[in-house]
Amino acid sequence: MNIIVTIIISLAMFGIGLIGVLSRRNALVFFLAIELMLNAANLLFVGFSKQWGNQIGLVWVFFILVVAAAEAAVGLAIIINLFRTKKVVDVDQYDSLRG
Amino acid sequence: MFGFFDSATQWILGLILLLSSLGVILLRKPVHASLSFLLTLLTLSIYYLQLDAHFISVMQVLVYAGAILVIFMFVIILFQDAYQEIEFTQPKSSKWILAMGFIFLIFGFSMFIYMILDLPSKFSTLSHDYGTVQSLGKALYLDFFIPFEAAILLFLVALIGALYIGKKVKKE
Repeated sequence: MNIIVTIIISLAMFGIGLIGVLSRRNALVFFLAIELMLNAANLLFVGFSKQWGNQIGLVWVFFILVVAAAEAAVGLAIIINLFRTKKVVDVDQYDSLRG
Repeated sequence: MFGFFDSATQWILGLILLLSSLGVILLRKPVHASLSFLLTLLTLSIYYLQLDAHFISVMQVLVYAGAILVIFMFVIILFQDAYQEIEFTQPKSSKWILAMGFIFLIFGFSMFIYMILDLPSKFSTLSHDYGTVQSLGKALYLDFFIPFEAAILLFLVALIGALYIGKKVKKE
């Protein structure tokens, strides 16, 4: 397993996730694209952890998993609440906090 | 092991990863996007196995495919009738935002490529218990005890917060 290929795959995944966040307006796909970026970071952590034979990277991946799970719970609750009040899942419509 | 076989596996896994993550943002219906995301997660898990991170590979399937994606599917079921109408609304000002994203991406890529030019290309020797549950558990409970407890607290707060936010608001 070559580290350069891992880095390229991870960067491409992060870029795809970023473009997804910036271009898709559906709140659910928005959320999935964020998870995609978190996974790209995880992949980079695991790749470099093996590259240097150091386990600390794997521990950080564990913490990122914890944060992702907590974020999923809170984020989906927020999306459900917004959907209940606005009846749409388009993030451009959620502008009631805009000044 | 076999060098060629190893790198061929890596390229195939990478290709599946890229195609499925493109599917996440390109497919129109959220159900299809989340199924494509499931393929991404399972492929990532296989990739982690190739990188000797056994515990992380199992955790990936358990936490992401088992917990997060199931909650996600439930939310999609709740939204079932809502996303038909939004497919026709055009996004506001997304061209400028996209251009900014592309500029950011190009900066990031060039920086990373500059950084990886002087990496060692050989793996350093791994200890025999690299990536197993025992050694990761030791690292978590001995070296990272405080962050581990903080993660537990974070989970508790997230649980209470999700319950509070998702609660039905009573109309006065």
